[in-house]
Amino acid sequence: MVIATLVTVAFLVLIGQLWYLQVLEGGRFLDASDKNRIRVRPIAAPRGILFDRHGTPLVDNRPAFTLSLIPRELPRDVETRDAVLGRVASLLHIPFQELVDAVTRVQPDSLLPVRVRRGLTLADVAKVEEWKLELPGVIAEVEPQRVYPTSRFAAHLLGYVREANDEQLKQGRYRRGDMVGQSGLERLLDEHLRGQDGGERIEVDAMGRPVRRVQQTEPHAGAQVITTVDRGIQEAAERAMEGHAGAVVVMDPRSGDVLAMVSTPAFEIDRFTGTIERDAWLRVVQDPNFPLLNRTIQSQYAPGSVFKILVAAAGLQEGTLTPLDRTHCTGEFHLGASTFKDWKEGGHGTVDLHQAIVQSCNVFFYEAGLRIGGAAIVRYASAFGFGQPTAIDLPGEKNGLLPRPQLGRGRQGRAYPAGETVNMSIGQGTVLVTPMQVARFMAAIANGGVLWRPRLVQRVERPDHGVVWSDEGRVNGHVELSPVVWAFLRQSLWSVVNDGGTGAAARIPGLDIAGKTGTAQMIAKSKAEKGQDHAWFAAFAPAKAPEVVVVVIAERGGKGGQVAAPIARKILNAIFFEKIAAVEIAG
Amino acid sequence: MLRIDRRLLQNVDWALLAIAFGLVVMSTVTLASLHVGRAGGSVVVRQVLWFAVGLTVMVLLASLDYRRLVRAAPALYLLGLAGLAAVFVLGRTVSGARRWIVLGPMSIQPSELFKICFVLIVVWAITSRWAQPVGKLAIALILPIVAVPAVLIIKQPDLGTALLLVPVLTILLVGAGLRLKVLGGLALAALSAMPLAWLALKDYQRERILVFLDPFRDPLGSAYNVIQAKIAIGSGQLLGKGVAGATQSRLAFLPERHTDFIFAVFAEMWGFVGCLILLLCYVLLLLRGFDIAATAREPVGRLVALGATALFAAQVLINVGMVTGLLPVVGIPLPLMSYGGSSMVASCMTLGLLLSVRMRQFQ
Repeated sequence: MVIATLVTVAFLVLIGQLWYLQVLEGGRFLDASDKNRIRVRPIAAPRGILFDRHGTPLVDNRPAFTLSLIPRELPRDVETRDAVLGRVASLLHIPFQELVDAVTRVQPDSLLPVRVRRGLTLADVAKVEEWKLELPGVIAEVEPQRVYPTSRFAAHLLGYVREANDEQLKQGRYRRGDMVGQSGLERLLDEHLRGQDGGERIEVDAMGRPVRRVQQTEPHAGAQVITTVDRGIQEAAERAMEGHAGAVVVMDPRSGDVLAMVSTPAFEIDRFTGTIERDAWLRVVQDPNFPLLNRTIQSQYAPGSVFKILVAAAGLQEGTLTPLDRTHCTGEFHLGASTFKDWKEGGHGTVDLHQAIVQSCNVFFYEAGLRIGGAAIVRYASAFGFGQPTAIDLPGEKNGLLPRPQLGRGRQGRAYPAGETVNMSIGQGTVLVTPMQVARFMAAIANGGVLWRPRLVQRVERPDHGVVWSDEGRVNGHVELSPVVWAFLRQSLWSVVNDGGTGAAARIPGLDIAGKTGTAQMIAKSKAEKGQDHAWFAAFAPAKAPEVVVVVIAERGGKGGQVAAPIARKILNAIFFEKIAAVEIAG
Repeated sequence: MLRIDRRLLQNVDWALLAIAFGLVVMSTVTLASLHVGRAGGSVVVRQVLWFAVGLTVMVLLASLDYRRLVRAAPALYLLGLAGLAAVFVLGRTVSGARRWIVLGPMSIQPSELFKICFVLIVVWAITSRWAQPVGKLAIALILPIVAVPAVLIIKQPDLGTALLLVPVLTILLVGAGLRLKVLGGLALAALSAMPLAWLALKDYQRERILVFLDPFRDPLGSAYNVIQAKIAIGSGQLLGKGVAGATQSRLAFLPERHTDFIFAVFAEMWGFVGCLILLLCYVLLLLRGFDIAATAREPVGRLVALGATALFAAQVLINVGMVTGLLPVVGIPLPLMSYGGSSMVASCMTLGLLLSVRMRQFQ
């Protein structure tokens, strides 16, 4: 009976072990069994759509295929795993190392898919499916991905969307593989556009085959963004700028709404979305034409003769200049030992202020500028918003530059040297402006002095929450000039285009366009650069009741009247005559 | 037809049969909830059919006088050896082991059936006149009888069944009056032979022992069974997850779930309370067996009952011990619970021997 006792004791040991496993440690094992059977598959939320002012989408989402690896389902053995990854690499032409890196930076028993490459073609997906049995742990997931009307459409305005980079991951707001807006509006409104990813909890068997869906959290699509942009105008401006480096800003002078924002050369926004090869990325980043730069707010140019409008406004308002003042232009202007030239050999002869604006006579403005004085010009420039950011929503905006008074000159101890003032009078020297600043300035001329903060986004709406963010527009300055002065300026600018002025190339019969040409001289560093001036044209129309402002700069384009004015003409023609559903014509 | 004495029928151990029947019912319910697909009919149907076969064999054995069986032991032993040897010629290989002989729609595992022959031959040996009193000499004579089948079984390889023979032999020797001093000497000799045995083991067998010592040495490889079984058992908690909630078993995370690891399935479904009931059944069955041994009038009957009970006890303890992670994984089925024809028939034969002894206790 010793044996029976021993056997009974052995059973008691077993029961003790069962008590330990089931009662004491049971909860832990229950968790473990749930971890075994439940797989969590994230469902990416579709990114919010950006619309133009008429509700036309600027971007859209389409289902795209993403190659993902599930570490837990890959072969355990490194050699076998590498064989699988090697097959993927050769099937899809992905560098082998990229696949290995993707797997090694996460836990080997992780069940979360690691996204390796986005934007697989249908042929790629077919290959993955075809080889499915030989590729354990390799899947093609479906995710919504951005799609653009054209490869470079509004690239700088919209901005590109890419996986969170290492720096963004460090901030802790994103998970690896999250798509994050990296520039433009996509970055500005990323929080709203991203939406909330959903997830599926799937019960799987030991082979990893899904048995049933346990729970599903629906993804919440990102918010819709209604911008101020007019897609038709944006497209027309992009077409007009083809072949030129530079920028276009189209603005509604009545509200500050940016109707189009073009910076060329643009980068291929669709290739930046998803996965871009290192080489392609470096090609863009190292491109001497800086395609990533948003020239409308990040490039600073000398305003050239466009600045003469401001000089005239300052002089007329201050009383240091009248429409009756005349100057005889011989084509040269002497100040001490220096000689300042007019752009026209031989000069314009005798001109008054109106003619000086229309013909863009430099010599007249050299003299006028000296009379008005550097301080007054800078004061008015400041009042019109130059030298300060426009406070547009996009990040990275440049301030521009206005000359500063120098020490030891004049009674107050600070003043502008005469040479500086002379240069400033025709928009050269240390005056630098961005195209956006010029657009705001032209809008102020057109609307009688209201300086709008350029508006890009009207509102952000969520289907279930209504408007979550809105921008009603804001005035960030007001310039008081006598009505006579406004009228004179508008009249002169109309004549620039319609009365034998330098802007004749912008003329459209049937539309009153007012504008000013400008040619920003580059300080020639070499012979090759000589004569490669930046061509400006800043205009508004219709002259009597302005609805749009168009500012064009073509880098190294040559003379403003010859290069920039025709571009502006194309854009204005498209807006007013090509029925592209543009601005609301005031009825 | 065999003529059955009415006195024999009066002594049928109905309690033993009832417990065994209860265990088979639990086995059937557990198997039914698993939906293990298999060609040639569902596992449940086959298990029930095998139980029917087992019952027939049991009745047959019970009606035979166990003394005649022991007398016939040498012949049965040779037949068993032939079966074991046949595996090497006719055997079917399943997951690396040649343990089965295919006969038409079924496959037979000779090592399972050999266990009965083993009990009988050992009883025959230690009760034969030349072995009295049971001492060193008797052991020296018995050892070759044990060694030959042990080697054959290990070669299959079926380490579990081979190891099973050791406690059965030990208990029979003790029951036959072997002095504990001699037994201690044997144990020492066995211990000193352990390093040699380690060398003789196959790689996967060594790995199993290492995994037993450290289950997380290779969680998705050889330790997978042990870990998944522990998860299954533990997640059953006090009251179990029921049939539908037993995800470890139903989703096939648990390997060998209908055969060697069926206890883990049961534990997941019915929890600690269910396990207590199941183990209580086995304890009652074994105590019944020991009682039969104790009440037997003469040594052969006592030893047959003791051997049969020991065989049963060793299988239950080793199987549950291995499934709960107390012992290394060796392939031993849980008697009457695990799916498997040979095992079921062998278990019924064990019960048949016990019944036979009980029915003849007053003769």
